[in-house]
Amino acid sequence: MAIFSIWSLVFVVSVSTLVSIVSSHLEGLAGVLDALGRAAGIVGLTMLLLAAALSARVPGFDRWFGGLTRLWKTHHRLGAGSLILLLLHPVLLSLAQADSGLHAAVQLLFPPLSDWPIWAGWASLLLMMVFLAPSFSFFGHPDYRRWKLLHRLAGPAVILALAHAWQYGRTLPADADKWLWLVLAALAVGAVTWRFVFSRRIGRLRYRVARVIAVANNLVELVLEPAGRRRLNYAAGQFVYMAPFDRQLSAGHGEEHPYTLSSSPEEDVLRIAIKDLGDASRAIQTIRPGSRVTIEGPYGGFFTDREAAKQVWIAGGIGITPFLGRARWLHGTQRRCDIRLVYCVQDEARARFLGELQAIAEALDGFEVIPHFFYRQGPLDSGFLAAHVPDLAEREAFVCGPPGLNTLARRLLTSADVARKRIHTEEFELL
Amino acid sequence: MKKLVYTVFVAFWAAVGTLVLVNALVPDAAEHAPQQTPEPTQPAGYSLSEVAKHATLGDCWMVIEGTVYDVSDYVPRHPAPPHVLEPWCGREATEGMRTKGDDSDHSPRAWRLLERYRIGFLLEGE
Repeated sequence: MAIFSIWSLVFVVSVSTLVSIVSSHLEGLAGVLDALGRAAGIVGLTMLLLAAALSARVPGFDRWFGGLTRLWKTHHRLGAGSLILLLLHPVLLSLAQADSGLHAAVQLLFPPLSDWPIWAGWASLLLMMVFLAPSFSFFGHPDYRRWKLLHRLAGPAVILALAHAWQYGRTLPADADKWLWLVLAALAVGAVTWRFVFSRRIGRLRYRVARVIAVANNLVELVLEPAGRRRLNYAAGQFVYMAPFDRQLSAGHGEEHPYTLSSSPEEDVLRIAIKDLGDASRAIQTIRPGSRVTIEGPYGGFFTDREAAKQVWIAGGIGITPFLGRARWLHGTQRRCDIRLVYCVQDEARARFLGELQAIAEALDGFEVIPHFFYRQGPLDSGFLAAHVPDLAEREAFVCGPPGLNTLARRLLTSADVARKRIHTEEFELL
Repeated sequence: MKKLVYTVFVAFWAAVGTLVLVNALVPDAAEHAPQQTPEPTQPAGYSLSEVAKHATLGDCWMVIEGTVYDVSDYVPRHPAPPHVLEPWCGREATEGMRTKGDDSDHSPRAWRLLERYRIGFLLEGE
């Protein structure tokens, strides 16, 4: 719903900009290019400011978007749209001047230094290219830390873009441009203030590592106990941003990363299962008990209160964590359920937590675990699903795993007549 | 999505690079291009009453800081809607140019652009 509102706003701004430009009768090709150039600037900046406003990551707020992953996707798409439009903006405006000669076209792009608003626009655009380059993998797969640092250049880029637009914004009738920028800038500033000031003070909860359970050689489960007065209030399957504070870590000291909670909300402690997937998650395998961590969250709306009783869960690899948390909670509270968990892994050695899940299945009526081994059975297919979950079409589906499995599962489920709105996916890669 | 953004990114630099290069390689274009309408050998002088005959959006002359401009061709491309410009046609319009109605001057670029539409000077003493 919130995603729909965001795109509706972009649509309304685009249409009203085009209408107001077209109503001031266009003249020739140059006129059309000029109009499109201005529209690209206005819509591009609108999208940039909306993307900034969505970067707040206020816990709970992401539920309107169907979880933080979806919110990040919207943020990512808005960013892509704004970069594309803002790259087109100067080129179109410059070409529109070419009917007065090539020199005029180049002059528009590179005016004398005294023409500061144009240079503010340039500076903003160059900053955007720098801070968005990792987001769109311009130069290979980005390094998480560098990507996060570079992304902070978004602040100055937005300020410069606003200064530029404020100077030229007279395309929309009356002062509509200025009102649009004021409202969107207020939202963006509010979001960034929350993110960098308030979330650090009040949004982050203090916890301490009580135990580090080595589940496998590349997977640990951290058990965290509260170290402050406040505890995290969450639902099973949600995730948090955790920053570890242990100076002996080889990477990632004080650096926050998203992790799914694998504990049940009934427990006194938090549990987070972390697989070695990069520098920081590799380093955290060796975190020492007693280390301090901060937890911000909870995020995610994978499981909702309105879901159907009959469910099928499809997990791939470390994507088991939200299901593990949910299964522990169902077991702990002895809920009635009718769930088939299809757990896809490479081989038996990689079926982490399978023993615990099978024990839960024995103790909990209506909960069944169906392991699927890739090396023996190949990719998950409709035959396997039909054999183990015969009433698939009647079930609400939850899928969490690597992107490839998510796509495959979605396809198998839709071809088995599970309605699209009854398929929920949680993705791990946030980029 | 990533491919699309990257393509536009490369296309942007290709377009800007081409514009700059061609501009540098064609010196004549830079010399002569801005003068589309040949300037009169003697700048013409106009009185306010002559200027006042050109007071419509289709035929719009303005007096700005003692110089007379025929901005008829520019009106459709001006960022502000035509009804904002119309009252300034056919008369002394320095205030409009200097204040934009909200006390903010036009940009240096706008002032340079205006020079392309100069047709003469205002005859004093009327």
